[in-house]
Amino acid sequence: MSAILSADDLNDFISPGVACIKPVETLPQKSAQSSENPYEVTTEDKVQPENAPPAQISLTDCLACSGCVTSAEAVLISLQSHTEVLNALDTYPEEDLSHHTDEGTSLENGTHNGGKKIFVASVSPQVRSGLAATYGISEREASFMIDQFLRGPQGLRAGGKHGSGFTWVVDTNAIREAVLVLSADEVAESLNTSELGAGDSPKRPILSSACPGWICYAEKTHPFILPHLSRLKSPQALTGTFLKTVLSKAYGVSPSQIWHLAIMPCFDKKLEASRAELTDASWRGFDDPMQHIPVRDVDCVITTRELLSLASSRGIVLSKLPLKAPPSNFTPSFPEKTLNSFLFSGNFQSRQTLASGTSGGYLYYVLLSFQSRHPNSEIVIQRGRNADVVEYQVVSPTGEVLLKAARYYGFRNIQNLVRKLKPARISRLPGGRNGPAASGASRRLPAARAGGSSTGSANDYAYVEVMACPGGCTNGGGQIRIEDAKQITADPSTDTVLDGASGETNKASPHEQRAWLARIDEAYYSAESDTDNPPGKTLPIQDKEAQVRQSLQYWANYLDIPLPKLVYTTYREVESDVGKPKDVGADTARVVELAGKIGGGW
Amino acid sequence: MEQIHKITLLSDLTPPSLERTWLSAPHPTLPLLATCSADKTVRVYSLTNFRLLSTISGGHKRSVRSAAWKPNTKENVLATGSFDATVGIWRNDEQEDEDEGDGQDRDPEEGWAFSVLLDGHDSEVKSVSWSSSGSLLATCSRDKSIWIWEDLEDGDNNFETVAVMQEHGGDVKCVSWHPVEECLASGSYDDTIRLWREDVDDWGQVACLRGHAGTVWCVDWEGEGGGSTTTTTIPAGGNSSQISAWKEKHARSARLVSCSDDRTVRIWRRQPKDHHQQYRPSDVPSIIRPTGLEEHWDEEAVLPTAHDLSIYTVAWSKASGRIASVGADGRIVVYEEQFTTSSDDPLQTTWTVIDSLPGAHGIYEINHVAWAKRADRGKQADEEVLITTADDGSVKVWLV
Repeated sequence: MSAILSADDLNDFISPGVACIKPVETLPQKSAQSSENPYEVTTEDKVQPENAPPAQISLTDCLACSGCVTSAEAVLISLQSHTEVLNALDTYPEEDLSHHTDEGTSLENGTHNGGKKIFVASVSPQVRSGLAATYGISEREASFMIDQFLRGPQGLRAGGKHGSGFTWVVDTNAIREAVLVLSADEVAESLNTSELGAGDSPKRPILSSACPGWICYAEKTHPFILPHLSRLKSPQALTGTFLKTVLSKAYGVSPSQIWHLAIMPCFDKKLEASRAELTDASWRGFDDPMQHIPVRDVDCVITTRELLSLASSRGIVLSKLPLKAPPSNFTPSFPEKTLNSFLFSGNFQSRQTLASGTSGGYLYYVLLSFQSRHPNSEIVIQRGRNADVVEYQVVSPTGEVLLKAARYYGFRNIQNLVRKLKPARISRLPGGRNGPAASGASRRLPAARAGGSSTGSANDYAYVEVMACPGGCTNGGGQIRIEDAKQITADPSTDTVLDGASGETNKASPHEQRAWLARIDEAYYSAESDTDNPPGKTLPIQDKEAQVRQSLQYWANYLDIPLPKLVYTTYREVESDVGKPKDVGADTARVVELAGKIGGGW
Repeated sequence: MEQIHKITLLSDLTPPSLERTWLSAPHPTLPLLATCSADKTVRVYSLTNFRLLSTISGGHKRSVRSAAWKPNTKENVLATGSFDATVGIWRNDEQEDEDEGDGQDRDPEEGWAFSVLLDGHDSEVKSVSWSSSGSLLATCSRDKSIWIWEDLEDGDNNFETVAVMQEHGGDVKCVSWHPVEECLASGSYDDTIRLWREDVDDWGQVACLRGHAGTVWCVDWEGEGGGSTTTTTIPAGGNSSQISAWKEKHARSARLVSCSDDRTVRIWRRQPKDHHQQYRPSDVPSIIRPTGLEEHWDEEAVLPTAHDLSIYTVAWSKASGRIASVGADGRIVVYEEQFTTSSDDPLQTTWTVIDSLPGAHGIYEINHVAWAKRADRGKQADEEVLITTADDGSVKVWLV
């Protein structure tokens, strides 16, 4: 998947391979000689090298190809770009909500309103850190920059066919707080159930599910992981559900009249946004589901880097925007008072510290929450074989280990985690059965038991925070690169980012890359130090949890939808059919079906 | 005109595979040879009597493309890479005592047990290589990636993925560790050779060598390495001052040989570290731009053209310093390095073809060539043999 869409060399999630067979078809035919064993020979091996043009995959290719589901995904993702944002803004006039600031007044529904939309955006903290590092501003100023651009008078609203802009720009941290509290609850619940996590809890260890690269990899390559995945939606997805449910309820409009843009440090978040599981079909009841086209909770995801492209394609120079909050007439309040406060007050937010890490702090929050229920216990941190593997223990005052957890970032480390969780049976070599180990000597059996369970400790973990990118989300594949940042510094009049191809020649050294990443991390960790909230106002963790749960319940009651239906999601095994014999007709049907299920976009 | 060849057949290894034999791997210390075949097996032959000792089968679902003996261990451990996208680790807990090899009834599978399967590659595994310490295993694949695994040697056959490198733009055809240092070289369908080292706690590319105009099929290191105490192989025809200067130059450097679909064999030399500090043109002053582990390599020589078709394997003898190459044209070519007498630079060398044997396996392509220590009864001190493997399955042992 991302190997296709992120052809410009991300260190984002490493895909399970360029699964589309289309590029292979463009290779020249194997030379005539030496084909006495075509069965085993790799066609590519003996192909005369030729500089084949880079493969372009279009929707037509995918539908015509006997290929793969992943290329359909790639198409869905390619529809989420900064151009798509411009298209949406130019196609639909913005719904004027300045007169509707009080408790929701119904808007005209559907086609009678002249095709107007409510535009709303959500922004992740890593995006702000990336901008802060790029422009040498604080995280808070970066937040103003984004606000000014998306909803201020000198930003997107200054141009375009209808002068449309975003009515609200939401920090995903508000909803992340809900995800943190619910994650801790999920872990606590799983610790209370019996060995195999009977009932609703995932299997232990619970693995975080906020990273879409990791989810995609697990679904395609390691289905045995799926029962371990946390059932919570990611902050992006839950923010989408929150915005669409509340706005559609408050204004009495269909979710399709709300256009939600998420700005993320990560390409694979686009893939997450196009999941069939994350549409209004999951929370709305339908009399006749066949008649209904599902509407995504997140309509479009763009990356930090694409935000710069969005600005430059409108001729807006981000660094020239005022670094202060947009005027109050550009700041309508959210249509429901209690939920407005939950979303915008920032009262509950966890601090982003070195201990909580760069990726939202799921693991650290689980530990803090657990620790708060075990007075005087201590969190012991031990670094693993590299900086991206960290083991945690909560230890009682008497030295008893109460909880074990770990952080695994990056593909190479994920491999080791997955191997440890692999059922022992599968990890044996298939040939072991016919080979000498099985047929004869039982004394060799210990050797044959290798590989899987023995390293052992993975199953002791209560929770593992897994992220596909080395260094976590601040180092996401969609972040502004040091090469871009240098360009912007050199010529502040444009925000133009470099083409993927030109990267190779001016590529920064590993040291420079590391220093750059450290700057983004620093901006991320310093985020809370410049908020308006006076220090020391932090609530005890259990009080805060109670308040967050209360707000969530208020939301569910407001909608009259059970909370679990809003906050949980599911995963499914995705069979990669590349390289396997297949029925062409059935496959085309499947691509079409997939496209249909996801709705929107096409 | 009948040409007299310096490369002469010593023996075939029997019985051979009836399907394509991809590669042979001489054991680092014992007179054993592992060969990989399209029939999904590995055959282990004795180099003393040229007969089959064991057949390791049942592990892989497709061709075994590559094999390597783990060095620096008392056990016999073999890593195999297969087109089924997996890497197998095999152990022989009984010493493969080759003296008993003939005359006794032996179960051909006796002794070898599969110990672990390393999966992770998404497509055909092309090559496997152990680092000199034996603790790291590198594998590469058609999926364009190189993986480094650490053998935890915890008695439980546990391996950990240490790194996954994805910089190559195409099928990675070969990986090869430096004979001493923890530095890995790789060659690819993207026509480049890349070098890799560990930096802080991850592995990264330290050099990318461009020059070949086609797939780089194979790379091999010159024997010994920078700063090592092992003996350096010396080009022929040198006087004593040339030889000592040569040794000094070598101690600070390293050389690689590569062969390609472009029908050339090239030699690459790493610049000594201290040479390139101010070498790098840069818009930022070098004080604040640490050079890190980046290495600078020069193309030192292109060997005389001797092949008509793609060259699949090149092997640099650690004992004699000679280079052998084989490929699709069925030739075995052996090259030798000599000091150039006419040059101003006393360390200037030239490579000459000392023999080129056509049709070494009849009409068949030769997939691989390796140097090994001669071990049969006719051996003289430190004598070497060449071992070639071909598309008809045959494995031949040659004297040069």
